[in-house]
Formats: sequence, structure tokens, C-alpha cells
Amino acid sequence: MTALGEFALWIALPISFWGMAMGFVGGRQGRGDLILSGERSVYVVFALLAIASLAITNAFLTDQFQYYYVANYSNRDLDTYFKLSGLWAGQRGSLVFWAVLLAFFASVTVFQNRNKNREFMPYVVGVIQGILGFFLVVLLFAKVNPFQQLGFVPPDGAGLNPQLQNYWMTIHPPVLYLGFTAFAIPFAFAMASLLNGRTDSRWIVVTRRWTLVSWFFLTNGIIFGMRWAYEELGWGGYWFWDPVENASLLPWLTATAFLHSIMIQENRGMLKIWNMSLVLLTFLLTIFATFLTRSGLIESVHSFAQNTSIALIFLAFMGSIFIASVVLIIYRLPGLRAENQIESFLSREAAFLFNNLVLLGAAFAVLWGTIFPLVSEAATGQPVAVGPPFFNRVNIPIGLILLALTGIGPVIAWRRATRRNLKRNFAIPVILGLVVVAVFLAMGARNGYALATFGISTFVLAIVATEFWKGTRARARIEGEGFGPALIHLIGRNRRRWGGYIVHVGVVLIFTAFAGSAFDVEVRKVLNPGETVTVASPFGHTYTLVYEGISSSVEENFDQWVALMSVQRNGEPVGAMTTSRRFYRVNRQMVTEVGIRSTALEDLYVILADVEDFEGMVGNDPNAQRIVVQVMVNPLVGWIWYGGVIITIGALIALWPAAEARRRSAALEPAIAGGS
Amino acid sequence: MVILGALLLVGISVFLILQPIVAGREAPLWSSGEEPTEAQFRKRVSLLQLRDAEYEFAMGKLGKTDYEMLRRELSAEALAAIREEEAEAEGRTSADYAEASADIEEEIAQVRIRLRGGSFCSECGHPNPGGSRFCAECGTPLRVPEPSGQGQA
Repeated sequence: MTALGEFALWIALPISFWGMAMGFVGGRQGRGDLILSGERSVYVVFALLAIASLAITNAFLTDQFQYYYVANYSNRDLDTYFKLSGLWAGQRGSLVFWAVLLAFFASVTVFQNRNKNREFMPYVVGVIQGILGFFLVVLLFAKVNPFQQLGFVPPDGAGLNPQLQNYWMTIHPPVLYLGFTAFAIPFAFAMASLLNGRTDSRWIVVTRRWTLVSWFFLTNGIIFGMRWAYEELGWGGYWFWDPVENASLLPWLTATAFLHSIMIQENRGMLKIWNMSLVLLTFLLTIFATFLTRSGLIESVHSFAQNTSIALIFLAFMGSIFIASVVLIIYRLPGLRAENQIESFLSREAAFLFNNLVLLGAAFAVLWGTIFPLVSEAATGQPVAVGPPFFNRVNIPIGLILLALTGIGPVIAWRRATRRNLKRNFAIPVILGLVVVAVFLAMGARNGYALATFGISTFVLAIVATEFWKGTRARARIEGEGFGPALIHLIGRNRRRWGGYIVHVGVVLIFTAFAGSAFDVEVRKVLNPGETVTVASPFGHTYTLVYEGISSSVEENFDQWVALMSVQRNGEPVGAMTTSRRFYRVNRQMVTEVGIRSTALEDLYVILADVEDFEGMVGNDPNAQRIVVQVMVNPLVGWIWYGGVIITIGALIALWPAAEARRRSAALEPAIAGGS
Repeated sequence: MVILGALLLVGISVFLILQPIVAGREAPLWSSGEEPTEAQFRKRVSLLQLRDAEYEFAMGKLGKTDYEMLRRELSAEALAAIREEEAEAEGRTSADYAEASADIEEEIAQVRIRLRGGSFCSECGHPNPGGSRFCAECGTPLRVPEPSGQGQA
């Protein structure tokens, strides 16, 4: 079974290049037989990559340590659950995983469009097979073949990095990869539109759902990654501006810009070159992110892959894509001219454009901070660390502007807004925001950025609530409906917009959570059994933790020491929590497993920072139970996860097929055109 | 066993991709008619924008003057798209349908009024918005077909 997997990769390689040639040649010459052959090749490559993926998973499940990849990312005692995720645990498997996801999305696209958008499909097939071919070349020729054999069979594997042995780590990479790969579809259609010369908005209309799907997965992938960092890295935070975190944020920033700017092109026929550039940039950044994560080029908490020989191949691929796309854009320049101009600075398109510029500004700042250490090392031989202070200094103000725009944009009408009305519409939300700032000031909060975030968040929430209320009222009046049906129909008529507003609410929650971190409280203390540590929450109450004792145990894959703490809130017992350290025997690595007690407003976060008398502890010596704990109160941190849920709901509303709207527009069009 | 499997994979793969060329099976080169043309797309967008503008006016984002102006522009755009669409459909040139434009403008207005639950004057045929009691053109009292939810009629 496993051996067949490698054959599958070798067969897939020529077939993907065959499909690429068939797509381009068939499209150029209008040959239906070649195009059909190209389209079939997509299904074939998907099936072959699926076989290869199953083969790798099978090798993990059956402990086939003769394979280098399995031996390095698994061991006999590893939980089956983590063996199942072995496919994306390391560089080699995750490259296969990337390719199989893309081939899956490509197959869906080919199937969906077997009778539609035919003028695009040959080139779409050509572009996607080109990307798949590239990944197959990397897999088979860049010394990262997941089926490479060691030549002997070790008795046991080296084990999976303990930090990856976490529930969130099993779903964070797949979700992120779904986001990365789904974006290849809009990119392929964009390139197809440049190749076939249909440079109107059709490619955007065809792919906007793919764009949303990609954005949805990217967003959730990033949030899951934050969750993993929060639970597993054990320092109380969730974002460290680590190169790999940045790499996932970069395509998110540009995809968010793209998501907004395509609306301008759809509505106003403007920004065509801009959208082409954004789709290209976002696609390159998804490749860059994959490359950065899986090349070991930049040191980071994630740099679990060490092979740098694929760096050049990746750079060459990105360079060729970039040059080819730019040449195509220049070639089609006449067809990409704007049909309209921005009429007024006070218009929704101007607000979108501004949002785009700010998002790109953030992307460039993050990109620069991420690759600067590399550039600097290349130039001076001296690596320079660019840490969180740089990123925070640059990105917090940018984030605040973006946050404000999520409230300002919706209120400004397309084309031109009426100044007087704007003032009226903004008055109450602005006042509400200022009131909230005043309340927090009065309560003693002094962090300027946090205050600004709370104020702007209130402003945005007020705007969104007013939008929903006014929209429903207008709909009820115009269509003569009750408020309930009016609200449902209002959302149904323009799912993208109202779903988008709900997404904005989720974004507000997440930003508020970020601001909450300004009020984190941290206490570090040495404890003997029976001793207590007290920490004051910024919300006014006090937690007292009593250290009850520690127990050690030998688990299947690790030894662990679990400290038990009973928790009192203002002297009232509210429960118990544990915090532990684990020693993974195979990896010979110690990790902390934090204890988290979540409420709606804050998390109590306990880290077992040190066990002083290790040997005594192993022997369960009653006099050797002294520990060092770090206790944190992280206000509002849970709002990130709640915000993620709200974003998911909003995105699903935006993605839901608008059957009703389609029926109605179909009925509308003949009525107008035929003049019944 | 593995060799057999691999050969099978090669065989199936090669068959699937070569069969269209050898047997002359073709993928359709053109879509089967259901997707909108550029003109139809622009028409749809302008009509949706007209609706949006109406909502934005109703929601207090647009002043009356701006709204009127916007509505005129959008109607003109919708009209241009409709003309183009008709030309596409009937293969006429732009000069041929220029004179028909007045009718089309009227038609857009009528369809939109009807969608809104408005009514047409029995005397002069002028379309009036929902809730109107008298014709805006000639002043004739209007028979309102059914009362609207707001009870203004």
C-alpha cells in the first residue's frame, strides 16, 4: 500500500504536466478533445495524490519506520489521533497534503464548470496543473520525498514534537492549508481571464465564492493557530509575531483587501489592474507561507523543517509566476482600463480603496519585519532579530484604522455620500464610543491603545446595530412587510453585505480581546503544599489558589507531574484546576501543559514553571513538592474564540447560496428586457 | 503485487487522459447559454444598485438631491446596458435602437414601480410609487390595488 503511494506520485508528475499542456494548447487552438483530456487529468492527478496521501497515513498507522518521514515524526506509543495527523506534521507530508487539497478543489472546479464558463476552463486547468506539477517536482526532486527509505528499520521512531501533540495542532494546519489552496482557484481564473482576453468582471463573479471560502478557512486557520499557541506554548499569549505566524497573516491581509476591492470592480468597473495584482500577490503569499513554514529558512517556534535545498526551487517558482503574471497584465492593459472613476472622496468605493491601502500597508510592514532578519544577515552577516515591539508599534495603529473603517464603510453610500447625513448617522455611535472611553478612564484604565480600541469597537457595534435596524425598517416600509420577515429578506437579498457586517462584529470582538491583553496580570511564586498565591483580576475580584500537592505518573508516551490547585474567587471556593509538566520519553523533551479556567470575561491561566526537586518528585517524596507557578489573569482573551464563531456565522451567511435572489433576478430580467 | 497495482494505476490514468483524443470525445468549447453576458451582468448590477440607492435613501445615508441624481445616473446606466443587451440578442447595431430608448426608459420605471407595489394612472398611464393617492402627472385620484403594510394608502 505504502509503496504504491510513491508510484502514484511518479505517475502524477507527467500527468500534471500533460494536463498543463493540454489546457493551454487546447484553449489556444479551441480543441475540445485536448481540453477534455486536460480536464480529466485533473481528476486523475487528484486520485493519484489521494492514493499517495492514504499511503503516508497508512505508513504512520502501521509504524513503518523504514520511511525517513515516519521515523522522524512518529513513534510506536504515539496516540493514534496524532498518527492520523502525521500527513501534515512535517514538511514532506504537508507538501503532499497541500497538493492533494489543491487537486481536490481543482476537481470540484472542473466538475462545477463542465458546462459553464467554458472559455476559462482550459486555462484554469493549465494554471492549476502547472502549480500541481511544481509541487510534484519539489516532492520528487528536492530531497523531500515522503517515501524516502532509510535503508534499515529502526526499532522505534524519533517521535512527534511534543508541542505538536495537541488537539488544535491537528486541525490548525489543515484548515490553514484549505485556505491557502482554495485561493489558487481565483488566481487560476484571473490568469485564465488574462489568457483568454475576457478581462471584464466575469472571473470575479465566478470566483468570489472561492475567495470567501479561502478567506473563511484562512481566518479560522489563524484563529486555531492562536488557540494552539495559547494552550501549548505556555507563556500566556497567543501571538508572538513569529515568522510563521506572520506568513499566515500575510495572505490573510491581502485576501481581505481583495475581498473588499472586488466589490468595487463588480459595482463600478474600476480597479481591474489592482484586483489582478491583489489576486497575484495573495497567491504568491500563500506559496510564500507554505515555503516559509516548510523550508526552515527563518528561525521560528514553528521551524520544524530543516531542509533549505527547496528554497531555491520555491523562489524560482514564485519568480516565474510573478514575471509571467506581470507580462500578461501588461499585455492585457487596454482591456483592464477602468470604466468609471471615483466620484467623491466620500463614497463607499473610496472607503474600500482606503481600507485596501491600509491592509496592504500592514502586509508590507509585516513582510518587511519577517524577512528583514534574512536580508540583514545576507547583507551584513549579522542576523538581526525583529521582535514583537516593532510589529506592535507599526500594526496597532494600522489595526485601529482598519477597525474604524469597518464602522465607517457601511454608512457611506456608493458613489457619493451626503455630508449632512453622514454627520447625523455618525453622531450617536461616536458619542457612544466616547462614553465608553470616559467610563474606562473613570475606572482607571490608562492604556491609550486599549481605550481607543474599546471606543472604536463601541462605535462599530453601534453602527452595525443601526444598519440592521434601519435596513429592516426601510425594508418593512418599502415592501410593506412585518419586521421579522423584513429582517430575513433584507439579509437574504444581499447575503454578502449583511454576512459581512456580522463578520465585522466578530472582528470587533477579536480586537477588543487584543486590547484586553493590555490588562493582563501576572504573578510568579514558589509554593509548598498548602501555600497560596493571590492574584487580582482587573475586573476587581481576587483569585486565591491553594497548592494542594503534586502527583507524578507514567503515561503511554510521557511521564507527567500534575499540580493540583483549588481556586477561590473572593474567598469563595469555585473549583479546582491542574497544571502539569510532561516529559516525552522518546523525544527527551519537557513541555508544560497549562491549566486554564475560562469565564466569559477572563481566563485564569496557571503555568507550572518549575519543579524544584525533580528526583524527589519522581519518587513521590512528600518533602519534595516545592514548585514554581506562574499565575495569570488574561482579561477578554476568550473573545477571540467567540469572535471566531461570529465570523464563521457571518461568513456562512455570505456563502449560503442565494436561491431566492437568483429566482427573483431571473424573473426580473425577462420582465425588463422583454417589456411585458 | 505492488508492481501490478502500479501498472494498473498507469493504465487507468493513461486511458482516461488519452481516450478523448483517440476517440475524438470533446469537452464543450462554449457554455450552454445560461450564464449572463457582460451587458446582462451590467444591467443586473445597475438595477441592484438602484435598489441599494433606494435603501440608502430610506436609511438616511443619502440626501434627497444626491439620491435623485444617483437614481438618474443609475437609470441611464441600466438603460445603456439594456440597449446593449438587446443589440447583443438581436444582432442590431447601436444606431438602430437609439430611437427606441424613450420606451425602454419608461419600461424600466414601470417594472420598478410594479416591483414596489405601485400603480399606474388609469387616465394617463403614468407610473406612481406605492402609497400614492393621486397621479403625480395629471392629478387623477388613483385606485390603490391593495393596502400596503404601512397603512399610508
